[in-house]
Amino acid sequence: MINTLISIILIMAAAPLIEGIIKTAKARFQNRRGPSVLQPYYDLAKFFGKDSVVSPTVSWVFRLAPYVYFATVFAATGVVATGGEVSQFADMLILIYLLGLGRFFLALASLDAGSAFGGMGGSREMFLAVLVEPALLLALISVAFTANTTALGGMAGAAGGLPFSLPYILAAIAFFIVLIAETGRIPVDNPDTHLELTMIHEGMILEYSGRSLGLIHWASMAKQTVMLMLFVAFFVPWDLPGLSQAGLGGIWFVIKVMLAAGLLALVETSTNKMRIFKLPGLLAVSCLLSLLALVAQ
Amino acid sequence: MMKYEEIEADKLWEGVAKLLCGGQRTLTAMFANDERMVNGSMAIYCIFAENSSGKHIALKALLKEEPYEFPSLVALAPAAAWYEREIHDLFGLVPIGHPDLRPLVLHENWPQGLYPLRKDFDESLIVSEANKNYPIPGVEGAGVFEVPVGPIHAGIIEPGHFRFSQAGENVINLEAKLFYTHRGIEKAVEGLSVETAFYQVERICGACSVSHSMAFSQAVEKIAEITIPARAEYLRVLTAELERLYNHVGDVGNLCAGLGFAPGVSHGGRIKEMLMRLNEELTGNRFLRGMITPGGVNLDISTDLVSKIKNILRIVETDFKELIEILKQSGAFLDRIDTTGILPRQAALDLATVGVGARASGVDIDLRRDFPYSVYDKLDFKVPVRVSGDVAARLWVRVDEVIQTVQIIHQILHSIPPGEGLLKTVIPELPPYASALGWSESARGGNLHWVMTGQDNTLYRLFVRSASYANWPALTVAVPGNIMPDFPLINKSFELCYACIDR
Repeated sequence: MINTLISIILIMAAAPLIEGIIKTAKARFQNRRGPSVLQPYYDLAKFFGKDSVVSPTVSWVFRLAPYVYFATVFAATGVVATGGEVSQFADMLILIYLLGLGRFFLALASLDAGSAFGGMGGSREMFLAVLVEPALLLALISVAFTANTTALGGMAGAAGGLPFSLPYILAAIAFFIVLIAETGRIPVDNPDTHLELTMIHEGMILEYSGRSLGLIHWASMAKQTVMLMLFVAFFVPWDLPGLSQAGLGGIWFVIKVMLAAGLLALVETSTNKMRIFKLPGLLAVSCLLSLLALVAQ
Repeated sequence: MMKYEEIEADKLWEGVAKLLCGGQRTLTAMFANDERMVNGSMAIYCIFAENSSGKHIALKALLKEEPYEFPSLVALAPAAAWYEREIHDLFGLVPIGHPDLRPLVLHENWPQGLYPLRKDFDESLIVSEANKNYPIPGVEGAGVFEVPVGPIHAGIIEPGHFRFSQAGENVINLEAKLFYTHRGIEKAVEGLSVETAFYQVERICGACSVSHSMAFSQAVEKIAEITIPARAEYLRVLTAELERLYNHVGDVGNLCAGLGFAPGVSHGGRIKEMLMRLNEELTGNRFLRGMITPGGVNLDISTDLVSKIKNILRIVETDFKELIEILKQSGAFLDRIDTTGILPRQAALDLATVGVGARASGVDIDLRRDFPYSVYDKLDFKVPVRVSGDVAARLWVRVDEVIQTVQIIHQILHSIPPGEGLLKTVIPELPPYASALGWSESARGGNLHWVMTGQDNTLYRLFVRSASYANWPALTVAVPGNIMPDFPLINKSFELCYACIDR
């Protein structure tokens, strides 16, 4: 119990650092110096030091949504954090639906303020969600199938036994595509843009400011970290011999997560945003790879 | 000095129809002038461009008494739509039969019946805030909604309001409400001496400073009937081409921001910065201000600087080609720009579109070649033209022009006559009520300045037709039919200027 709590706190605290690493890596890939790795922490501190401006026309949904979103991501972090131990809550279906609940509330809130950008962001996010959720489910199922369990701990254990087998390689690519979509990165969404007309995730939260915006940003960063951890746990399971014996398995895991974050930055730099109506094709590729992974078992 | 065919206002339609000659000439500018102090009437000028001969032909219609009315030319030349609305706003002359006489320059907060460009308008007047209507046409129907964007935008850009009528992501109609920061420069320079007015003219726009100052200076020099020293002409063209270079390079980089291609953005930004630092070294100003002046140029270049320019051009050429290679090899990038935001050739012709916007739609015009000014007739360069009219065409036209511009600068540096004597001809006493047209091809297209002198070496009237003024209406034609997230991309491919129309 205490261990789980410590893990959750560590993951939440490290999430902005992972974001900072991605930003710095991106800047370096573009020949820029970029802001400090710690910039996301400064940004959060700034947001939490500010008041929120709330439109007088909004309902309770708008006020509640940041907390719900944060709570679902917090719970998802918990699910992943208990993954090592055997727990009845550490189930992949619970994880998927927690993320879905958070997304649902953000989309509701985006419509609430009645601004055109929010509505567009919400409608695009839902359009994507219809495609992303089955893709995520399929990718995880292909892992669960080998493990014969939907418990995250069991899945990770089974994955550790068979690194580099064909089903895992196919599923890894499928999951990485979902990872890009879930974290709102190029070629699906552009987290750095100021162009409201092109926004998806950022469009949904345009009406938020101050503390609620900080909460949403923090939750998004934590969600990104959770997704990266899942990717590493299932698809990059191999150990450096000696490290685990020395009790440094945790550090090796963190390094792998950071490398995966770097990979995300590399993909973002090497291409541009796709036209939104071509995204179903990309996610269909992910689904297809997962199906192939299932067949290959 | 310019010659005008004078006609009565009610004969304007016939006169223009005859001059347009079924598309052989284009209506390139139309403006009014309050000449009641000179000859007792309001005047409307129509300037036509005859590409085959490289000449401008001018028609002048006189409106002798109130009510000041003239037949609208929109049905004859659609390009007249904005000009007539502006004349209606600023002079109170009414184009009879205009399909859309909503205010253009002066918005709903400007009181009725106050015409700022008339001579009897009191400049010191504190104008009260009016509360008129400004209807913006929209599309109605099941599932159709409107998306208002601006006038304040998230990036550091100028103000403009865009109203999209949407069905899902598809844009059905786009209305642009612009002119939020109209500065009244044309009014402000009235009564000023040419030299004083020049500073305001040079500051109409940042990115087109050279082009505007060149067009204005040439108009003044035509009135004064002087020629400027040969070396000064070469230096003018050098600065004009350096302006085109940093604009085009920066615009190619910026286009990448429209589709989130970060390496292109930082690459383009870096090369542009290199060029702007060169600009500063050359003229003391990153926008190349301070070089051109009516009568010649203010600054000379040393041999050191010549070799420095050559060096930087070499670096720019290599780096820019590398950037273009990256773009050309990226399938995802090409996928976004091909067939996006098509401006049909006929629309480009009808709206008298200029510059890159026109040349990407198969309209082969370039003032430097068709209406040669300064020393462009002594230079060897090509005018790139594409026919597909999409974002890609506008991008590749810019890319090809960068190559041509680098060539032009090399030619200039090679053949510039040695410096001897002054770089500036003194402008003599200007004849009163004489007028002339000056023009130059900016990075965005042709800029026209029409200047009329008053008593004692002052300006009586200045009319500025910037390239952006001619091209803004084309944007609202190119966008419908595309999806909304492509708007920033299409907008950046036209790269229109707000300051150039808010003169």
